[in-house]
Amino acid sequence: MIKYRPKKLDDVINQEKAKEELTKWIELWFKKIPEERAVLLYGPPGCGKTSLIEALAREYGLELIEMNASDYRRKVDLDRIARVAALQKSITGRFKLILLDEVDGISGTADIGALETILDIIQVTMNPIAMTANDPWDPRLRPLRDAVKLVEFRGLTKTDVRKVLKRICNDEGLVCDEDAIDFIAERCEGDLRSAINDLEAVAEGYGRVTLELVKNLLRQRDRDYQPFEVVRRIFISKYAWQAKQAAQQTDLTPDELIQWINENLPRQISDPEDLWHAYEYLSKADVYLGRIVKTGSWDLLSYAVDLMSAGVSLSIVNDVKSKYRWVKYNFPQNVLITAKTKEVRQLREELAEVLAKHLNISKAVARTDVIPYLRVIFNTNVEAAAKLALGLNLSESMVKYISQQNASKIVELMNKLRTESSRKVERPKQERVSERRRDTRGKPGTLDSYFTSKS
Amino acid sequence: MSSQVLAELLWVEKYRPKTLSEIVNQEDVVRRLQQFIKERNMPHLLFAGPPGTGKTTAAHALAHDLYGPDYRMYMLELNASDERGIDVIRGKVKEFSRSRLPTNIPFKIVLLDESDNMTADAQQALRRLMEMYVDVTRFILIANYPSKIIEPIQSRCAVFRFIPLRKEDVVKRLRWICMNEGIKCDEEALEVIHDISEGDMRKSINILQASASIGDVNVSNVFKVVGLAHPREVREMIQLALEGKFIEARDRLRELMITYGISGTDIIKQIHRELFGSELAIPESLRVEIADYLGEIQFRLVEGADEEIQLNALIARLALLGRAAKTVKTAK
Repeated sequence: MIKYRPKKLDDVINQEKAKEELTKWIELWFKKIPEERAVLLYGPPGCGKTSLIEALAREYGLELIEMNASDYRRKVDLDRIARVAALQKSITGRFKLILLDEVDGISGTADIGALETILDIIQVTMNPIAMTANDPWDPRLRPLRDAVKLVEFRGLTKTDVRKVLKRICNDEGLVCDEDAIDFIAERCEGDLRSAINDLEAVAEGYGRVTLELVKNLLRQRDRDYQPFEVVRRIFISKYAWQAKQAAQQTDLTPDELIQWINENLPRQISDPEDLWHAYEYLSKADVYLGRIVKTGSWDLLSYAVDLMSAGVSLSIVNDVKSKYRWVKYNFPQNVLITAKTKEVRQLREELAEVLAKHLNISKAVARTDVIPYLRVIFNTNVEAAAKLALGLNLSESMVKYISQQNASKIVELMNKLRTESSRKVERPKQERVSERRRDTRGKPGTLDSYFTSKS
Repeated sequence: MSSQVLAELLWVEKYRPKTLSEIVNQEDVVRRLQQFIKERNMPHLLFAGPPGTGKTTAAHALAHDLYGPDYRMYMLELNASDERGIDVIRGKVKEFSRSRLPTNIPFKIVLLDESDNMTADAQQALRRLMEMYVDVTRFILIANYPSKIIEPIQSRCAVFRFIPLRKEDVVKRLRWICMNEGIKCDEEALEVIHDISEGDMRKSINILQASASIGDVNVSNVFKVVGLAHPREVREMIQLALEGKFIEARDRLRELMITYGISGTDIIKQIHRELFGSELAIPESLRVEIADYLGEIQFRLVEGADEEIQLNALIARLALLGRAAKTVKTAK
């Protein structure tokens, strides 16, 4: 129902936080190209992501360049449309807003290379880029997540949806029964777009909207369950087949599903014995998944799914009531935490890479077998730390990552050692100080010993 | 002597053997490898054995003895943990393997470290390369778990098993380093270092260097290092789990894995170390039960896909055992 697409920012309902974030971001562009050149709007379907971008473009008078899932989005297509638009410099200060709709719908096979191209365009764009996705936690989108500003859209409540439907009925002069509106609002699960479509479908043919008509005319739209719903269905299953069925009616891949279950299982289940039994199955399901990845034996997949769904739900026997308790579910937090700790992890990885090169080891080994001991040295001995930092050619921020508490002292000493060494070249012979210097660390005037103490 | 002393290296690097003859133990392996040098010919090699036993060092030393100090010109090093996909094999590795052979050397070397972390696809691709370019390129594969290398690759390689280092060898090496560094060290401390690092030479030397940064290398400093090197989150996690606070325990776990970047296996090992310490006040029988499950989880970690899920199972187990222990206590 194109007619009721929001035209103004104010028409987009109940997304105040997202609105504020996006307006701020767009206004930055009028001053200069901001740090974050792209945003990723995410949230359930039909909550106003695309509409908000369209309204934003209208409100600020920006030309909107849109590519959505119905377009081919191969590398060449993106280069032809999005990249060309992205690189156009505005002369008048009137820039373009590029919208890549439904990026989670980019096909891995048909649109090969698309995500890489998008990332590439984000690096160089002179114009703001907005993307939308229902599920930003798709592992494939991870590099994208790291490169953009994430803006969350909330699913609309039944009340929100009802309000809009009523307004439309009023505007259109439709006779709508209260309970029919309720029914539509209930059914749409927060998806306003589908609610409006439903309303339109009934109203168009009959001119009035009653509960009976609605019930008869609207066949249940076939939809995959949202992750929260899948998890809930799995937990409350009484029979093994129920749990399995729930696990199959979702877009989530088994390795995503297991993460959702893993995240929320301890929130739902409190009896320690139940929880452990459930985790035993989850752990075994994960072993199957591991074998599938490593050996490519996809025929093991159904066992993994059996265990993570039916295995989990049927483990709950001591405190059966806990299955039905209402608890607030979470997105798999490890994904979120990973996004939040981006900078620290980046630094850690850079450091691990330096060490890996020096020691002929993998970054993983550097992280577990080297960095902890480096940390001990850096936290206890400024002198040794500074020398190592110089020897390994560590950056200041790496030093800080290793030892917050001593960072400034170490860096100071590093600089002194550096200047000393350049001076040293001019006057090579100095008196020899052979004792080990533990008590003079960091003090000026004794630095010559650093060059001669070890022979 | 100017910049040498100003800038230090990690001792693992500083004292790494450069040639085969400098490698202290693994006599069998070294002797056979030296035979290859003499003949200037060798098959594909698979080095298998626990961490820190000198596999990578031996590979580098072999190349050094074969090509001289600039050996890196003729060798492609890849760490399969960091670059393990099929793309790397089809790209970098293939490119290098099929490139022309410089006239002065008999063959080039591709060194694939931690190759047990390669995906099945990548291994299949690799297998073909090993056949196609065998006349110009030899592969050295290094692995902790050779069973994770597919059979066809194993059968194309001469397998070298690196045995865990003997205590006296490790201690001897550590003592030698101390001597070179002019550091006082206790014999007992060196033995403790060996025990803690389970014969892993790399870890041993790292602990040694960290201990020396605190002061003399004595038992108390070694334990201090081990304590400092292991984030307190591990102990907190165990405590919280035993108290039945699953979510909080999991938060600690995530901090360890995501922020510190510690691998699941290493967390298990650290828990294991805590398990028999006096700080952990739990019934003795529980220690054994936990150890049993630790082993199980470590096994599943190697097999499984997601480390957090496996460790969460451990937390759940600890929570259950913690409750049982409490009821026993109150019953008494």
